[in-house]
Formats: sequence, C-alpha cells, structure tokens
Amino acid sequence: METIIRNSGKTQVFREKANKVMGISLEDARLTKSYLSVAFLAILLGGMLGLLQGLNRAGMLELPVWLNYYQVLTAHGLLLVVVLSAFFTIGYFYAGLSHTLGGLLPKVRKMAWIGFWMKIFGFVLAVIPILMNEASVMYTFYPPMAASPIFYIGLVFIVLGVWMCAFGAFINVASWRKRNPGQHIPILSFFATGVFVLLFFGSLPVAIEVFTIIPWAFGWVETINVMVARTLFWAFGHTLVNIWYLTAVSAWYVIVPKIIGGRRWSDLLTRIVVIALVMMNITGGFHHQIIDPGISEPVKYMHVFMSLAIGFPSLMTAYAMFAVFERTARKKGGRGLVGWYKKLPWGDVRFLAPFIAMAAFIPAGAGGIVQSTNQLNQVVHNTMWIVGHFHLTLGMSVVMTFFGISYWLVPYVSKRVLTPQINKLGVIQTIIWTIGMVIMSGAMHWVGLLGSPRRTSYSTYFDNATALSWDPYLFFLAIGGTLLMIGVLIQVYAVFYLMFFAPKGNTEFPVAEVEEDAAPTPRWTERWGLWIVCMLVLVGMAYVIPLVDFIVNAPPGSPPYKTW
Amino acid sequence: MKQSGYGFLLLLALMLPPVSNLLESIMITHMHMQMPMLVFAGFLMAKFFQKRFPQFFEKWNENGLPGILLFTIIMVYWSLPRTMDEALTMTSVEAFKFFSLPFLAGVPLRDSWRKLSSSWKHALIIFFTVLFLGMGWLYIWSPVQLCNNYLVIEQITLGWGFITTAFAMVVYLVYSYFMDFSKYE
Repeated sequence: METIIRNSGKTQVFREKANKVMGISLEDARLTKSYLSVAFLAILLGGMLGLLQGLNRAGMLELPVWLNYYQVLTAHGLLLVVVLSAFFTIGYFYAGLSHTLGGLLPKVRKMAWIGFWMKIFGFVLAVIPILMNEASVMYTFYPPMAASPIFYIGLVFIVLGVWMCAFGAFINVASWRKRNPGQHIPILSFFATGVFVLLFFGSLPVAIEVFTIIPWAFGWVETINVMVARTLFWAFGHTLVNIWYLTAVSAWYVIVPKIIGGRRWSDLLTRIVVIALVMMNITGGFHHQIIDPGISEPVKYMHVFMSLAIGFPSLMTAYAMFAVFERTARKKGGRGLVGWYKKLPWGDVRFLAPFIAMAAFIPAGAGGIVQSTNQLNQVVHNTMWIVGHFHLTLGMSVVMTFFGISYWLVPYVSKRVLTPQINKLGVIQTIIWTIGMVIMSGAMHWVGLLGSPRRTSYSTYFDNATALSWDPYLFFLAIGGTLLMIGVLIQVYAVFYLMFFAPKGNTEFPVAEVEEDAAPTPRWTERWGLWIVCMLVLVGMAYVIPLVDFIVNAPPGSPPYKTW
Repeated sequence: MKQSGYGFLLLLALMLPPVSNLLESIMITHMHMQMPMLVFAGFLMAKFFQKRFPQFFEKWNENGLPGILLFTIIMVYWSLPRTMDEALTMTSVEAFKFFSLPFLAGVPLRDSWRKLSSSWKHALIIFFTVLFLGMGWLYIWSPVQLCNNYLVIEQITLGWGFITTAFAMVVYLVYSYFMDFSKYE
C-alpha cells in the first residue's frame, strides 16, 4: 500500500515536471483557448458598440430606433464588464493553475467546461431581451428600472457558471496542497485562489439581489426595496472591478519580472497584498453609493475610510513594482538616478503593455481616491468623469495588462511562438490604444467636471449654452473611440493569428522566481479559511448597520419602471 | 516592546473625548468596535507586562485557565445592556470600562491563548458563539427598549451584528472541524 502511495506520489511529481518542461496538456490548452476566444470576440463586439456610443455622444451619429443608445450601452457594458473580464480571468488563471499545479484534475476540467457552457447559455439568454429592447437597464441592473425576467435568469446562469469555475479552482488547489504538504501554494495559484474566493463571495450578494428581482420582474410581487437591492448590487459590482484589477496585479508581480529578466519582489509582501485585497474588497461597494439617500453620514464616513484602506495594498504594489524594475535594470548595467530605465525592454510588447497599464493606474488610482471622498464625489458623481475613471482603470490598467498577457499566453496554449512582426504590431497597438484612451478618458474626465452627465445619449438640452460648451470635449470621445477601435481590430487579429497561424514552437509560461537570498514566507499566509472568516466579519461590520436601517425603516417599495 | 507602545497609544486615542463620544453615540460601534478595540489595546500591551512580571503570570496563570476565565467574566459583564447604560451615565463605570477591557480582558487573553489546548480554544469560541446567538436573539426580538440611551432600531442593529459575528465564528468552527491541517503541513 505504502509503495503504491509513494509511486503515485512520484508519478505526480513526474507529471508536474513534464508539464513544466513540455508545456500545457492539449485538453487544458483547449479550455484556455476557448475562454480566451470568447473574451476577445467580446472585445471585438463590445468595442464596436463602444465606438457607436462615442460617435453618438459627439453628436455625429443618430442611432436608429431599432438599436438605440441605451441598448448599445447595456450590451457594451455587459460584453466588456462581464464577458471579457470573466472569460479572460478564468482562461488565464486556469492556464496558470495547470502550469503551476501540474495540470488540471479531470473533474476540475469538466467543471470548467460546464461553467463555460452555463455562462454562454446565460449570456445568450441575457442578450435576447437586450436586442428586443426589453432590457435597456445598463449593466448596473438595479431597481427601480426593470428588465424582462429573462435577462435576470440569464444573469443567474452566468453567476452559476462562475461558481463552477471557482469551486473547480479550489478543488485543484486543495488537491495540490494535499500532495505537497508543508509547501506554499505557487504564487500564481495563490493569486488564483484569491480571485476565485472574491468571485464566489462577491457574487453572493448579487445572487441574492437577482433572486429578489426575478419575482418582482415577473410581477409576482408588486414592489422591491430599492436601497437593499442597490447595496447588494454594489457589494458585487465593486468586487468585480477589483477582481480584474487583482488579475492584472498577478501579472505585474509574477509575470513582468520574468519578462524583463529579473526576479520577484518579496514573496511575503505579494501574499499580504492578495490577502488584504481579498479581505477588504467587498465592503468597498459603499463608495459607489456616496450620494444615495438613506445612508447616514457617519456610515458614509466609515466607508470612506474602508475604501481608502483598499488603496494601501495598491501603494505597496506600486513600490514593489518599481523596486523590481530598478533592481533588474541596475543588474543589467543601468546607471543614474533614473537613467536605469533605458535598460528595460521597451521594444517588448509583453513588457510595454503592462508597464503603461501600471503607469495609468497612478492617475486612475488618484481619481479613485477623489471619488471616494464625500465632498468631491458630490461634484462628479453623475457626470462623465466617472465614465472616464473606469475607462482609465479598466480600459487601460486592466485591459492593457490583459493584452500584454495575450502575447505570451496565446502562443503558450497554442504551442506556437510570438513572431517579431506580431511583437512590433503589438507595440504599435499599445501606442494606438494608449493615445486613444488618454484622449477619450481625459476628455471624459474634463467634460465631467464641466457638468456633462453620464448614462444619457447626446442632447443639447434645447441648445442650452452650457450643454453646447461640452461639444468640443465630446468630440474627443469620437476621436479616442475611433483610435481604440483600430486598437481592438489589431489586438483581435494578433490574438487569432497567434492562436491559429503563427509558426509552431514552444513558448515559456513566464513565472518569475524569488530572489536567491529571500527570507522564507511564514506559514500563516496559507490559512485561507481564517482570511475568509476575517473577511466575513469585516463584511458583517460594514453591512449590518445600513442594511438593518434599510429594512426596518423601509420606505414603501418601488414598482418596476420601464423608462425607455 | 514596540507593540506595547502602540497598544498604549491606541488606548489613549480611544480615551480622547471626541473619539469616545463618536464611538459611543452608536450602540453597535460602542459594543462591537470600541470595546473590542480596548481589548486589542490590552492585547498589544500584554507583552510589556509579560516581560516585566514573568513570575506573576507563571504563578497565577500557569495553564491559561485563570486568565481566560477572567477574560470571559469581563466580556460577559460588558455584554449586559445595563452595563453599557451605566458606562454612559456614570463616570466611575466608564473609567472601569477603560481599565477592565484592556487590562483585565486583553492582557489575560494574550497570556492565556498560547497556553490553552486547542480543545479549550474551541470550547471558548463555541461558548462565545452561543453567547452571541443568545445576545442577538435578545436584542433583535426583545419587545422593549433595553438601554435607556439607545433607540430600538440601534438595538436591532446590534442584534444583527451579534448574529453575523456568531455566523462567522460558526464558519470558523466548521472549517477547523473539517480541516485536517496535518495533511497540509
């Protein structure tokens, strides 16, 4: 018996080594390729819809009656916020789990496929009412606006599909830990664990919300408690945003150092950042509700503090990243106070895209701090500033990192190589995207400060002078949007070229090692159960006061509204 | 020793009138934020006392049980609605709160926790889970106002605070019951 166990242990070790040397197994590769294909098709479609909106807001395009601005807005949000992000995150982390944990377990792979089809099914269900103009509620689908019940049922399937993938990841990680007692979870899988914990716990509130909305949308119950629904939505909405951010951060910590030929910064610091982001994230939802009535000032004040606390791990990240850059560049002979930057591989798209993404997070994060501050939020809340903010954070910091990842991940799973031509195309794409997004999101921020509202199609408000003064800025939305569309086309071309047509060969999965003299990471970082309990306590602390208030002192509920 | 200093600073900060007034103005922050933070301040300061009076702890808290008993008594005392009321109306009780929670609960908790066996630790968590469920039940479904100083809505909020904390502790207990750490470490 013992021999069998020892032998199966050896087989496992052999499998893990073979997996690292020979690359991903075909079945695992097919899974990731499918997820990435959906993600990049979503960006193609979502990008086109985005361009339509940009042209409309610039006053250059009147959308037809059968495809109005709010339909386009809803579909754009759903495609990019839910489909692109979820499919990319899952495809990327499943490849990471497969690479670092010695392949996916067969049952986990099956779960990920079931999750894949559940999400696709749910997405199709959600899109049908959008196309029929029955669900123009935008991707922030909280009451009192009500869509067709089919839309919400579709969302339920998307959430169930995501949970399937989350539990698959937990099973794979737990099985690895059992086989490797006393070892730390490999860092990329540690990030994956954090992301899937957040995906599961973050989507619990939205599941509760949707289950209260469905009977209301069907008309089985007459009214709904709007404040409770909004609060549950944002507990999810904010977490979702930070899940993509954490996905991008994983590439910054783990992948980018390897690409520039360096080593990872402190393993302990990296793991603390993951734990801190997982614990503090869900409660951040409240800073999306700063102007909501019904939440008392002290509670809002408390949440400003909670939100700013989330900024702290980001500052740690910024420090760690630039430390890695400087250290690596100096090892390569870089000199001077800042002159070392010349030694970084600027011509390598796998570095350039995530670097610009990181740099974009400096103004993006600062803008975020502005918005979570009560008084400043009053100024910008319902304006284009917010739209500019999330295009800077997601459209640059997150998505450009995803693009940078695609230039090695797609060849890795397709057993092909990144050609110099595609690398060059990637650099050009990165530059186009950067210029496009800076123009568009910069103009959005600015025109937002001047008062131009968000979530509305183009209007001059009966030629009101103030509204007309926004026009020159709104014009930049069209220019930026057009550049971004060119960027999308190049990016999608590059991804499918690398997937199906690039020369065959072996591409490495770039996971950086820690420094040779690194201190050992303490064991407590592995106590995921404890972190989850701490997270639950924190969520309890944050939500009990307002939720009890909303429910006990509830105003009359709201009937469903169809404003379009 | 640095942490003892931080603990002392935290205690001083919590004693500042504007801070204590703010925290005591809401029932749930009074009981679930100020009081635990006072215990935490004592927890941090415990290092100082352990180094200064090692023999005292050796002699009186050899197996950790006396310390944890003291901790439990203090915590249960401060769970009573009446004690909270008195802390707000009588200065002497307020002073006792700022003394007892750090020094009679936080310090013995730190000293006892490492000395306790895991079954005692679990027993303690189970005790507090049951206590919290009971307190939650009391505060939510009590037909009358329990504290003169706080409204019924605040009482209900505090009740749900107890229930959610108890839920988190149940999750922890289930997790540690089903997890066999020896398989992983």
